[in-house]
Amino acid sequence: MSSELLNYKDISISYGEKKVLSHFDLDIKQGDRILLKGRSGAGKSTLLKMPMGFAHQTSGNLYFNNSLLDSNTVWDARKRIAYVSQDLDIYEGSVDEFIEEVFSYSFNEGKLDRTKLRRLLVYLGFEKDVLDMNFEELSGGEKQRIGIIMSVLIGKDIYLLDEITSSLDAALKEKVANYFLERKEWTLVIISHDDVWEKENVKVVPVGV
Amino acid sequence: MEIYDISYLSLVACFLLLVIPVFVSQYLKLGIIQDTVVSVSRMVVQLAFVGVFLTVLFDLNNSIVNLLWLLVMLIMATHTTISDVGLDLKKLLVPTIFSFIIGNFLVLLYFNMFVVNLENLFDARFLIPIFGMFLGNSLRGNIISISSFYDAIKRNENRYLYSLSLGAKKHEAILPYARKSLDLALKPSIANMSTIGIVALPGMMTGQIIAGSSPILAIKYQMAIMVGIYVSTVMTVAIGIFMTIRSSFDEYGILKQDVFKSTNA
Repeated sequence: MSSELLNYKDISISYGEKKVLSHFDLDIKQGDRILLKGRSGAGKSTLLKMPMGFAHQTSGNLYFNNSLLDSNTVWDARKRIAYVSQDLDIYEGSVDEFIEEVFSYSFNEGKLDRTKLRRLLVYLGFEKDVLDMNFEELSGGEKQRIGIIMSVLIGKDIYLLDEITSSLDAALKEKVANYFLERKEWTLVIISHDDVWEKENVKVVPVGV
Repeated sequence: MEIYDISYLSLVACFLLLVIPVFVSQYLKLGIIQDTVVSVSRMVVQLAFVGVFLTVLFDLNNSIVNLLWLLVMLIMATHTTISDVGLDLKKLLVPTIFSFIIGNFLVLLYFNMFVVNLENLFDARFLIPIFGMFLGNSLRGNIISISSFYDAIKRNENRYLYSLSLGAKKHEAILPYARKSLDLALKPSIANMSTIGIVALPGMMTGQIIAGSSPILAIKYQMAIMVGIYVSTVMTVAIGIFMTIRSSFDEYGILKQDVFKSTNA
Protein backbone atom coordinates (compact mmCIF):
# COMPACT_ATOMS: atom_id res chain seq x y z
CA MET A 1 0.00 0.00 0.00
CA SER A 2 1.18 3.50 -0.77
CA SER A 3 1.67 6.22 1.80
CA GLU A 4 -0.90 8.37 0.06
CA LEU A 5 -3.40 10.18 2.23
CA LEU A 6 -5.85 11.30 -0.40
CA ASN A 7 -6.33 9.82 -3.83
CA TYR A 8 -8.69 11.40 -6.30
CA LYS A 9 -9.30 8.75 -8.96
CA ASP A 10 -10.98 9.62 -12.25
CA ILE A 11 -13.17 12.27 -10.66
CA SER A 12 -15.85 13.99 -12.74
CA ILE A 13 -18.04 16.78 -11.42
CA SER A 14 -21.24 18.15 -12.91
CA TYR A 15 -23.50 20.86 -11.60
CA GLY A 16 -26.89 19.80 -12.90
CA GLU A 17 -26.47 19.33 -16.65
CA LYS A 18 -23.22 21.25 -16.80
CA LYS A 19 -20.04 19.20 -16.71
CA VAL A 20 -17.28 21.20 -15.02
CA LEU A 21 -14.53 18.66 -14.46
CA SER A 22 -13.78 15.34 -16.12
CA HIS A 23 -11.40 12.52 -15.29
CA PHE A 24 -9.38 14.35 -12.67
CA ASP A 25 -6.65 12.41 -10.86
CA LEU A 26 -4.56 13.56 -7.92
CA ASP A 27 -2.52 11.70 -5.29
CA ILE A 28 -1.64 13.56 -2.13
CA LYS A 29 1.03 12.22 0.22
CA GLN A 30 1.76 13.22 3.78
CA GLY A 31 3.61 16.55 3.88
CA ASP A 32 2.56 17.58 0.36
CA ARG A 33 1.57 21.16 -0.28
CA ILE A 34 -0.78 21.39 -3.21
CA LEU A 35 -2.13 24.60 -4.71
CA LEU A 36 -5.18 24.01 -6.89
CA LYS A 37 -5.36 26.52 -9.75
CA GLY A 38 -8.12 27.02 -12.26
CA ARG A 39 -10.84 29.39 -13.38
CA SER A 40 -13.75 29.90 -11.04
CA GLY A 41 -16.45 27.29 -11.43
CA ALA A 42 -13.93 24.63 -12.43
CA GLY A 43 -14.78 22.47 -9.42
CA LYS A 44 -11.86 23.40 -7.12
CA SER A 45 -14.05 24.04 -4.09
CA THR A 46 -15.96 20.83 -4.69
CA LEU A 47 -12.67 18.90 -4.78
CA LEU A 48 -11.72 20.48 -1.48
CA LYS A 49 -15.06 19.73 0.18
CA MET A 50 -15.20 16.12 -0.95
CA PRO A 51 -12.90 14.65 1.74
CA MET A 52 -15.22 16.17 4.37
CA GLY A 53 -18.34 14.78 2.70
CA PHE A 54 -19.67 18.32 2.19
CA ALA A 55 -19.80 17.88 -1.58
CA HIS A 56 -19.82 14.84 -3.83
CA GLN A 57 -18.34 13.91 -7.18
CA THR A 58 -20.60 12.85 -10.02
CA SER A 59 -18.38 9.89 -10.84
CA GLY A 60 -15.02 8.47 -9.81
CA ASN A 61 -13.71 7.61 -6.37
CA LEU A 62 -11.95 9.36 -3.53
CA TYR A 63 -9.76 7.37 -1.15
CA PHE A 64 -8.65 8.49 2.27
CA ASN A 65 -5.82 6.48 3.82
CA ASN A 66 -6.39 3.86 1.12
CA SER A 67 -10.04 3.28 1.95
CA LEU A 68 -12.92 4.48 -0.14
CA LEU A 69 -14.44 7.61 1.30
CA ASP A 70 -18.10 7.02 2.01
CA SER A 71 -20.63 7.79 4.72
CA ASN A 72 -18.86 5.41 7.13
CA THR A 73 -15.25 6.46 6.59
CA VAL A 74 -15.99 10.19 6.33
CA TRP A 75 -16.24 10.47 10.12
CA ASP A 76 -12.63 9.24 10.48
CA ALA A 77 -11.53 11.63 7.76
CA ARG A 78 -13.15 14.53 9.60
CA LYS A 79 -11.11 13.70 12.70
CA ARG A 80 -7.84 14.21 10.83
CA ILE A 81 -8.73 16.83 8.26
CA ALA A 82 -9.42 20.48 8.92
CA TYR A 83 -11.47 22.27 6.29
CA VAL A 84 -11.23 26.04 6.52
CA SER A 85 -13.46 28.07 4.24
CA GLN A 86 -13.08 31.70 3.25
CA ASP A 87 -15.77 32.97 5.53
CA LEU A 88 -16.86 31.87 8.93
CA ASP A 89 -20.63 32.26 8.80
CA ILE A 90 -21.46 32.93 12.42
CA TYR A 91 -24.00 35.54 13.41
CA GLU A 92 -24.66 34.96 17.06
CA GLY A 93 -22.74 34.71 20.28
CA SER A 94 -19.24 35.73 21.31
CA VAL A 95 -15.99 34.34 20.00
CA ASP A 96 -15.25 32.74 23.36
CA GLU A 97 -18.66 31.03 23.49
CA PHE A 98 -17.97 29.47 20.11
CA ILE A 99 -14.53 28.31 21.23
CA GLU A 100 -16.07 26.76 24.36
CA GLU A 101 -18.67 25.02 22.21
CA VAL A 102 -16.08 23.55 19.87
CA PHE A 103 -13.95 22.29 22.73
CA SER A 104 -16.95 20.67 24.37
CA TYR A 105 -17.14 18.13 21.50
CA SER A 106 -15.95 14.79 22.85
CA PHE A 107 -13.24 14.62 20.18
CA ASN A 108 -11.72 17.93 21.36
CA GLU A 109 -12.23 17.61 25.08
CA GLY A 110 -9.32 18.85 27.14
CA LYS A 111 -7.47 20.10 24.05
CA LEU A 112 -8.06 23.80 24.55
CA ASP A 113 -4.68 25.41 25.08
CA ARG A 114 -5.41 28.99 26.18
CA THR A 115 -1.72 29.96 26.01
CA LYS A 116 -1.50 28.82 22.41
CA LEU A 117 -4.79 30.59 21.66
CA ARG A 118 -3.45 33.86 23.04
CA ARG A 119 -0.20 33.43 21.14
CA LEU A 120 -2.06 32.84 17.88
CA LEU A 121 -4.33 35.83 18.48
CA VAL A 122 -1.32 38.06 18.97
CA TYR A 123 0.48 36.55 15.97
CA LEU A 124 -2.51 37.31 13.75
CA GLY A 125 -2.76 40.87 15.05
CA PHE A 126 -5.72 40.70 17.43
CA GLU A 127 -6.23 42.80 20.53
CA LYS A 128 -6.89 40.50 23.48
CA ASP A 129 -10.54 41.48 24.01
CA VAL A 130 -11.63 39.92 20.71
CA LEU A 131 -12.72 36.86 22.70
CA ASP A 132 -15.50 38.84 24.37
CA MET A 133 -16.68 40.34 21.12
CA ASN A 134 -19.75 39.09 19.30
CA PHE A 135 -19.36 37.68 15.83
CA GLU A 136 -21.60 40.33 14.31
CA GLU A 137 -19.11 42.99 15.42
CA LEU A 138 -16.25 41.32 13.53
CA SER A 139 -15.20 42.16 9.99
CA GLY A 140 -14.89 39.48 7.32
CA GLY A 141 -11.13 39.43 7.73
CA GLU A 142 -11.38 39.07 11.51
CA LYS A 143 -13.81 36.16 11.19
CA GLN A 144 -11.45 34.61 8.69
CA ARG A 145 -8.57 34.81 11.17
CA ILE A 146 -10.68 33.34 13.98
CA GLY A 147 -11.57 30.45 11.65
CA ILE A 148 -7.89 29.86 10.92
CA ILE A 149 -6.97 29.95 14.62
CA MET A 150 -9.72 27.50 15.54
CA SER A 151 -8.63 24.96 12.96
CA VAL A 152 -5.04 25.19 14.17
CA LEU A 153 -6.02 24.87 17.86
CA ILE A 154 -7.85 21.62 17.18
CA GLY A 155 -4.51 20.15 16.17
CA LYS A 156 -5.13 18.30 12.92
CA ASP A 157 -2.49 17.49 10.33
CA ILE A 158 -4.30 17.77 7.01
CA TYR A 159 -5.57 21.21 6.07
CA LEU A 160 -7.93 22.01 3.23
CA LEU A 161 -7.72 25.78 2.87
CA ASP A 162 -10.32 27.47 0.66
CA GLU A 163 -9.34 31.10 -0.01
CA ILE A 164 -8.51 31.64 3.65
CA THR A 165 -6.43 34.75 3.01
CA SER A 166 -8.86 36.50 0.65
CA SER A 167 -10.00 39.23 3.10
CA LEU A 168 -6.67 39.86 4.81
CA ASP A 169 -4.21 42.69 4.22
CA ALA A 170 -0.88 41.96 2.56
CA ALA A 171 1.12 41.59 5.79
CA LEU A 172 -1.38 39.17 7.31
CA LYS A 173 -1.64 37.13 4.08
CA GLU A 174 2.09 36.60 4.30
CA LYS A 175 1.96 35.68 7.99
CA VAL A 176 -0.84 33.16 7.54
CA ALA A 177 0.78 31.52 4.52
CA ASN A 178 4.13 31.32 6.31
CA TYR A 179 2.54 29.83 9.41
CA PHE A 180 1.08 26.95 7.43
CA LEU A 181 3.99 26.46 5.04
CA GLU A 182 6.58 26.37 7.84
CA ARG A 183 4.96 23.29 9.40
CA LYS A 184 6.56 20.62 7.23
CA GLU A 185 4.66 17.72 8.80
CA TRP A 186 1.30 19.16 7.78
CA THR A 187 -0.38 18.25 4.52
CA LEU A 188 -1.91 21.26 2.79
CA VAL A 189 -4.34 21.53 -0.09
CA ILE A 190 -4.89 25.16 -0.95
CA ILE A 191 -7.20 27.18 -3.15
CA SER A 192 -6.12 30.81 -3.36
CA HIS A 193 -5.74 33.72 -5.72
CA ASP A 194 -3.06 35.18 -3.47
CA ASP A 195 0.52 34.70 -4.63
CA VAL A 196 1.77 34.39 -1.03
CA TRP A 197 1.09 30.67 -1.34
CA GLU A 198 3.20 30.25 -4.44
CA LYS A 199 6.46 29.33 -2.76
CA GLU A 200 8.97 26.59 -3.39
CA ASN A 201 7.78 23.15 -2.31
CA VAL A 202 4.24 24.17 -3.19
CA LYS A 203 3.07 22.10 -6.13
CA VAL A 204 0.65 23.85 -8.45
CA VAL A 205 -2.01 21.53 -9.82
CA PRO A 206 -4.21 22.82 -12.63
CA VAL A 207 -7.90 22.03 -12.33
CA GLY A 208 -10.02 22.00 -15.48
CA VAL A 209 -8.79 23.56 -18.69
CA MET B 1 -75.41 24.37 42.57
CA GLU B 2 -77.64 25.23 39.69
CA ILE B 3 -76.46 25.19 36.08
CA TYR B 4 -77.62 28.20 34.10
CA ASP B 5 -78.33 27.03 30.60
CA ILE B 6 -77.95 29.46 27.73
CA SER B 7 -81.05 29.35 25.57
CA TYR B 8 -80.75 29.79 21.80
CA LEU B 9 -82.53 33.11 22.20
CA SER B 10 -79.91 34.30 24.71
CA LEU B 11 -77.20 33.15 22.30
CA VAL B 12 -78.74 35.42 19.69
CA ALA B 13 -78.61 38.20 22.29
CA CYS B 14 -74.92 37.52 22.70
CA PHE B 15 -74.29 37.77 18.95
CA LEU B 16 -76.04 41.15 19.03
CA LEU B 17 -72.95 42.41 20.88
CA LEU B 18 -71.07 42.04 17.60
CA VAL B 19 -72.76 45.23 16.47
CA ILE B 20 -70.11 47.04 18.53
CA PRO B 21 -67.03 45.81 16.60
CA VAL B 22 -68.93 46.44 13.37
CA PHE B 23 -69.59 49.98 14.48
CA VAL B 24 -66.00 50.49 15.60
CA SER B 25 -64.69 49.13 12.31
CA GLN B 26 -67.03 51.36 10.33
CA TYR B 27 -66.14 54.45 12.33
CA LEU B 28 -62.37 53.93 12.30
CA LYS B 29 -62.32 52.38 8.80
CA LEU B 30 -60.55 49.31 10.15
CA GLY B 31 -61.92 47.10 7.39
CA ILE B 32 -62.38 44.13 9.71
CA ILE B 33 -66.11 43.65 9.14
CA GLN B 34 -65.67 41.02 6.48
CA ASP B 35 -63.00 39.18 8.48
CA THR B 36 -65.20 39.29 11.55
CA VAL B 37 -68.20 37.87 9.70
CA VAL B 38 -66.13 35.09 8.17
CA SER B 39 -64.42 34.21 11.46
CA VAL B 40 -67.60 34.27 13.50
CA SER B 41 -69.40 32.11 10.93
CA ARG B 42 -66.55 29.64 10.89
CA MET B 43 -66.57 29.50 14.67
CA VAL B 44 -70.32 28.85 14.73
CA VAL B 45 -70.18 26.11 12.11
CA GLN B 46 -67.10 24.40 13.59
CA LEU B 47 -68.36 24.48 17.17
CA ALA B 48 -71.87 23.39 16.16
CA PHE B 49 -70.32 20.45 14.37
CA VAL B 50 -68.12 19.59 17.36
CA GLY B 51 -71.09 19.97 19.72
CA VAL B 52 -73.22 17.52 17.78
CA PHE B 53 -70.27 15.25 17.24
CA LEU B 54 -69.23 15.18 20.90
CA THR B 55 -72.84 14.56 21.98
CA VAL B 56 -72.96 11.48 19.77
CA LEU B 57 -69.49 10.43 20.93
CA PHE B 58 -70.33 10.86 24.60
CA ASP B 59 -73.66 9.00 24.26
CA LEU B 60 -71.94 6.16 22.47
CA ASN B 61 -68.88 6.22 24.77
CA ASN B 62 -67.23 3.33 22.99
CA SER B 63 -63.49 3.07 23.74
CA ILE B 64 -62.58 2.08 20.18
CA VAL B 65 -64.54 4.97 18.66
CA ASN B 66 -63.00 7.36 21.20
CA LEU B 67 -59.50 6.20 20.33
CA LEU B 68 -60.26 6.49 16.62
CA TRP B 69 -61.32 10.09 17.21
CA LEU B 70 -58.02 10.76 19.00
CA LEU B 71 -56.28 9.38 15.92
CA VAL B 72 -58.16 11.86 13.72
CA MET B 73 -57.10 14.69 16.06
CA LEU B 74 -53.50 13.45 15.88
CA ILE B 75 -53.47 13.37 12.09
CA MET B 76 -54.91 16.87 11.93
CA ALA B 77 -52.28 18.13 14.39
CA THR B 78 -49.46 16.50 12.43
CA HIS B 79 -50.69 17.88 9.14
CA THR B 80 -51.01 21.37 10.62
CA THR B 81 -47.50 21.23 12.09
CA ILE B 82 -45.78 20.19 8.89
CA SER B 83 -47.70 22.42 6.50
CA ASP B 84 -47.29 25.38 8.85
CA VAL B 85 -43.51 25.09 8.91
CA GLY B 86 -43.09 24.68 5.13
CA LEU B 87 -41.50 21.24 5.22
CA ASP B 88 -42.12 18.23 3.05
CA LEU B 89 -45.05 16.33 4.55
CA LYS B 90 -44.04 12.86 3.43
CA LYS B 91 -40.53 13.02 4.89
CA LEU B 92 -41.56 14.12 8.35
CA LEU B 93 -45.01 12.56 8.75
CA VAL B 94 -43.99 9.48 10.72
CA PRO B 95 -41.60 11.21 13.16
CA THR B 96 -44.04 14.01 13.88
CA ILE B 97 -47.03 11.75 14.46
CA PHE B 98 -44.84 9.56 16.65
CA SER B 99 -43.87 12.56 18.78
CA PHE B 100 -47.52 13.49 19.32
CA ILE B 101 -48.47 9.91 20.24
CA ILE B 102 -45.66 9.39 22.75
CA GLY B 103 -45.81 12.89 24.17
CA ASN B 104 -49.56 13.15 24.58
CA PHE B 105 -51.03 9.70 24.79
CA LEU B 106 -48.70 8.34 27.46
CA VAL B 107 -49.17 11.39 29.65
CA LEU B 108 -52.94 11.16 29.08
CA LEU B 109 -53.06 7.53 30.19
CA TYR B 110 -51.04 8.31 33.30
CA PHE B 111 -53.30 11.28 33.97
CA ASN B 112 -56.52 9.28 33.64
CA MET B 113 -55.15 6.38 35.64
CA PHE B 114 -53.38 8.05 38.57
CA VAL B 115 -54.72 11.59 38.72
CA VAL B 116 -58.41 11.35 37.82
CA ASN B 117 -58.55 7.65 38.84
CA LEU B 118 -60.93 6.71 36.05
CA GLU B 119 -62.39 3.23 35.93
CA ASN B 120 -62.57 3.35 32.16
CA LEU B 121 -59.35 5.00 30.95
CA PHE B 122 -60.94 5.67 27.59
CA ASP B 123 -64.05 7.44 28.89
CA ALA B 124 -64.95 9.99 26.23
CA ARG B 125 -65.83 12.74 28.72
CA PHE B 126 -62.22 12.82 29.95
CA LEU B 127 -60.24 11.29 27.12
CA ILE B 128 -61.25 13.73 24.40
CA PRO B 129 -61.21 17.14 26.14
CA ILE B 130 -57.99 16.45 28.05
CA PHE B 131 -56.27 15.04 24.99
CA GLY B 132 -57.45 18.13 23.12
CA MET B 133 -55.82 20.42 25.66
CA PHE B 134 -52.56 18.46 25.62
CA LEU B 135 -52.55 18.25 21.86
CA GLY B 136 -53.36 21.91 21.30
CA ASN B 137 -50.44 23.01 23.45
CA SER B 138 -47.94 20.50 22.17
CA LEU B 139 -49.02 21.35 18.63
CA ARG B 140 -48.06 24.97 19.22
CA GLY B 141 -44.79 23.82 20.80
CA ASN B 142 -43.97 21.50 17.92
CA ILE B 143 -44.62 24.20 15.33
CA ILE B 144 -42.33 26.63 17.13
CA SER B 145 -39.54 24.15 17.77
CA ILE B 146 -39.53 22.42 14.38
CA SER B 147 -39.80 25.62 12.37
CA SER B 148 -37.16 27.46 14.38
CA PHE B 149 -34.84 24.46 14.30
CA TYR B 150 -34.92 23.98 10.51
CA ASP B 151 -34.81 27.72 9.99
CA ALA B 152 -31.71 28.08 12.14
CA ILE B 153 -29.88 25.12 10.72
CA LYS B 154 -30.54 26.23 7.16
CA ARG B 155 -29.48 29.81 7.91
CA ASN B 156 -26.34 28.57 9.69
CA GLU B 157 -25.49 25.88 7.17
CA ASN B 158 -21.85 26.90 6.85
CA ARG B 159 -21.43 27.20 10.58
CA TYR B 160 -22.93 23.76 10.97
CA LEU B 161 -20.51 22.28 8.43
CA TYR B 162 -17.70 24.13 10.13
CA SER B 163 -18.63 22.42 13.42
CA LEU B 164 -18.46 19.04 11.67
CA SER B 165 -15.04 19.93 10.29
CA LEU B 166 -13.91 20.91 13.79
CA GLY B 167 -14.51 17.39 15.04
CA ALA B 168 -18.16 17.50 16.10
CA LYS B 169 -20.14 14.31 15.89
CA LYS B 170 -23.49 14.69 14.19
CA HIS B 171 -25.40 15.07 17.44
CA GLU B 172 -22.84 17.50 18.84
CA ALA B 173 -23.15 19.73 15.79
CA ILE B 174 -26.94 19.62 15.91
CA LEU B 175 -27.42 20.02 19.66
CA PRO B 176 -26.90 23.80 19.94
CA TYR B 177 -29.69 24.38 17.39
CA ALA B 178 -32.00 21.81 18.96
CA ARG B 179 -31.42 23.26 22.41
CA LYS B 180 -32.24 26.77 21.26
CA SER B 181 -35.44 25.78 19.49
CA LEU B 182 -36.67 23.66 22.41
CA ASP B 183 -36.04 26.57 24.72
CA LEU B 184 -38.03 28.82 22.40
CA ALA B 185 -40.91 26.35 22.25
CA LEU B 186 -41.12 25.81 26.01
CA LYS B 187 -40.85 29.41 27.13
CA PRO B 188 -44.56 30.22 26.55
CA SER B 189 -45.65 27.18 28.60
CA ILE B 190 -43.36 28.14 31.46
CA ALA B 191 -44.50 31.76 31.38
CA ASN B 192 -48.08 30.56 31.27
CA MET B 193 -47.72 28.59 34.48
CA SER B 194 -46.07 31.38 36.40
CA THR B 195 -48.75 33.98 35.62
CA ILE B 196 -51.81 31.78 35.80
CA GLY B 197 -54.50 32.95 38.19
CA ILE B 198 -53.07 36.46 38.33
CA VAL B 199 -53.16 37.67 34.76
CA ALA B 200 -55.97 35.47 33.57
CA LEU B 201 -58.26 32.80 34.87
CA PRO B 202 -57.81 29.79 32.64
CA GLY B 203 -60.72 28.71 30.47
CA MET B 204 -61.05 25.27 31.89
CA MET B 205 -61.26 26.50 35.48
CA THR B 206 -63.70 29.23 34.55
CA GLY B 207 -65.82 26.68 32.74
CA GLN B 208 -65.93 24.35 35.72
CA ILE B 209 -66.85 27.15 38.11
CA ILE B 210 -69.66 28.39 35.86
CA ALA B 211 -70.87 24.82 35.46
CA GLY B 212 -71.19 24.58 39.25
CA SER B 213 -67.95 23.09 40.59
CA SER B 214 -66.40 24.54 43.71
CA PRO B 215 -63.41 26.81 43.04
CA ILE B 216 -61.17 24.43 45.02
CA LEU B 217 -62.09 21.49 42.81
CA ALA B 218 -61.64 23.65 39.72
CA ILE B 219 -58.21 24.74 40.93
CA LYS B 220 -57.10 21.18 41.61
CA TYR B 221 -58.11 20.20 38.10
CA GLN B 222 -56.39 23.25 36.70
CA MET B 223 -53.12 22.47 38.47
CA ALA B 224 -53.24 18.89 37.29
CA ILE B 225 -54.00 19.90 33.73
CA MET B 226 -51.24 22.53 33.66
CA VAL B 227 -48.68 19.99 34.79
CA GLY B 228 -50.03 17.52 32.24
CA ILE B 229 -49.85 20.11 29.48
CA TYR B 230 -46.31 21.09 30.39
CA VAL B 231 -45.05 17.51 30.56
CA SER B 232 -46.73 16.49 27.32
CA THR B 233 -45.40 19.59 25.56
CA VAL B 234 -41.84 18.93 26.74
CA MET B 235 -42.05 15.31 25.64
CA THR B 236 -43.63 16.09 22.28
CA VAL B 237 -41.20 18.83 21.25
CA ALA B 238 -38.12 16.91 22.43
CA ILE B 239 -39.19 13.74 20.64
CA GLY B 240 -40.38 15.79 17.65
CA ILE B 241 -37.00 17.41 17.09
CA PHE B 242 -34.94 14.29 17.61
CA MET B 243 -37.22 12.05 15.54
CA THR B 244 -37.35 14.43 12.58
CA ILE B 245 -33.55 14.81 12.72
CA ARG B 246 -33.22 11.10 12.04
CA SER B 247 -34.97 11.43 8.72
CA SER B 248 -33.82 14.88 7.64
CA PHE B 249 -30.02 14.43 7.76
CA ASP B 250 -28.12 12.09 5.44
CA GLU B 251 -25.45 9.57 6.47
CA TYR B 252 -22.78 12.22 6.03
CA GLY B 253 -24.55 14.30 8.66
CA ILE B 254 -25.67 16.87 6.09
CA LEU B 255 -29.19 18.34 6.08
CA LYS B 256 -31.16 16.93 3.17
CA GLN B 257 -32.33 19.79 0.99
CA ASP B 258 -35.51 17.98 0.01
CA VAL B 259 -37.04 18.26 3.49
CA PHE B 260 -37.93 21.80 2.45
CA LYS B 261 -40.98 22.16 0.24
CA SER B 262 -39.73 25.11 -1.80
CA THR B 263 -36.45 23.53 -2.92
CA ASN B 264 -38.12 20.61 -4.66
CA ALA B 265 -37.94 22.32 -8.04
